Amino acid sequence: MKIAVTGGKGGTGKSTVATALAVELSKYGNVLLVDADVDCPNDHLLLDMERKEVSEVETMIPEFNERKCKKCGRCSEVCKENAIVQVQDKYPILSEDQCTGCRACMFACPFDAISPSKQTIGKIYESEGIVDMVSGEMDAGVEESSLVVNALKKHVEKKSGYDYVVVDTAAGTHCPVISALVDVDLGIAVTEPTPLGEHDLNLILELMDKLEVESKVVVNRSDIADNTGVKEVSERWKVPVIAMIPYSKDIERDYAQGKPIKHKSIEKMVGVVG
Amino acid sequence: MKKIAVASGKGGVGKSSIAASLAVLLAEKKDIVVVDCDVDASNLSIILGGGEMKKEESVSINEKAIFHPERCISCSKCRDICAFSAIDWNEKENMPEINRYLCEGCGSCSLVCPEDAFIMERVYNATIGEVETDYGFDLVEGQLTIGEAGSGKVVEMIKQRASEKEAEIMLLDVAAGIGCPVTAALKDVDYVIVVTEPSPAGLSDIKRLMRVVDQFDIDCGILVNKYNLNIRTYEDILKFAEESSVEVIGKLEYDKTFVEALTHLKPVLEIDDRYRDIFEDILKGISLKFE
Repeated sequence: MKIAVTGGKGGTGKSTVATALAVELSKYGNVLLVDADVDCPNDHLLLDMERKEVSEVETMIPEFNERKCKKCGRCSEVCKENAIVQVQDKYPILSEDQCTGCRACMFACPFDAISPSKQTIGKIYESEGIVDMVSGEMDAGVEESSLVVNALKKHVEKKSGYDYVVVDTAAGTHCPVISALVDVDLGIAVTEPTPLGEHDLNLILELMDKLEVESKVVVNRSDIADNTGVKEVSERWKVPVIAMIPYSKDIERDYAQGKPIKHKSIEKMVGVVG
Repeated sequence: MKKIAVASGKGGVGKSSIAASLAVLLAEKKDIVVVDCDVDASNLSIILGGGEMKKEESVSINEKAIFHPERCISCSKCRDICAFSAIDWNEKENMPEINRYLCEGCGSCSLVCPEDAFIMERVYNATIGEVETDYGFDLVEGQLTIGEAGSGKVVEMIKQRASEKEAEIMLLDVAAGIGCPVTAALKDVDYVIVVTEPSPAGLSDIKRLMRVVDQFDIDCGILVNKYNLNIRTYEDILKFAEESSVEVIGKLEYDKTFVEALTHLKPVLEIDDRYRDIFEDILKGISLKFE
């Protein structure tokens, strides 16, 4: 079973819930925790685990063969990212930062003058400890987080023997989150009872509805304000609230010290999802 | 026009709350425009009173491949070429299957298909607009249509819209992470207020964010929110700042007033006057760099 922990808004406690859920689930079966917040992976810090680099994530970058190039400009025409500039009668120039590695230029070139070269955009790590974990990390300065998430997913597909795969996603609702959510069996949206939490919960529940992912809501810091709003949003999408985690100094302390948090609401959550 | 960004890497450390209070103070002295660069989940207008979006415009920032199965000859040339893993091979039908939510509209499938079975169609994937706040400045914001790609390009568009206002200062509230919406927001700013909280994750994430800030060669300062929640990690942050020769421009205590302010849809300095002085001091430190 593949469970994603997401939330829309940042800092609602996604990683806290994902790590605690993974640890609790490990009492019932083999668990693999996947840190798919490749912009800012933190699960290893929350569980105080060492990470071992196992592979690099590479993407294609075009290399122009000037002997074959007839300066026709087709490559620059098809590039939707405007990463290739072609001035008339000059060879094309690539802006590497803008290239997403889609290879459209290569497919379009009528003279076979573009060959695929490689560029490294991130790394994949593995850790062993209280649970097994893999995490992806995008190199700073790279923009296409979703490519690292996709590579991480391919890495996970090669692994077998896990009863539960818990995927911790990035904040937001854009490409890296969509890539992480697209094939899970269940998505847990972690929110907080503030107008911002409500607003972003609505967006992430809309996303999971579109992706046809079954979802459930967890309210974190449930006692810091009135819960009516988050309950209304959950009802609007007909999604059940499966746990309420109150604000607690103990939880904050465990979080800050790299320990999985303990709370009866986590056990309850496992009862519902496991 | 000077551009000041508020960013953090990690989400939920208080970027938008801090940006809202700074905006209200700045607007008392200067002509400013504020940009909510979190187009995945824009929150700033809520903190500033939840005004309606005006001058709305539906924008198209990319295309999607539409598959026409009647043209497909099952040649399988499109198989495995999608860099975004948006094409699966349906063995039963012996045909490709596009996941439109993963498609980034690069057009590679339409280029390799000999039968034109993939047609690229423009999609309207975001709404951008403006909010007139109660505090004498305009907020420019956008919302990516849920399930669509391209937040970086939407950020570029709303920044363009904001720069047309020709204000003295543009204040940008940046999304979490370090991916495309963040680089698009930071690209040409003059100063970044790096907000963090005293947790190992908060520290790790500003280290990653500051690598991006360094690549763009932008001046920055660190603001520690909720610093008293973990004094030991707070000291680690101070040490990191010193080692990287970055100024710590202020610290804020963990205070339930922030949550109270949120539930009242007001910036925190409108609820508690103490924050007026605190944010004033932070601004003084930053403005020295511009004068």
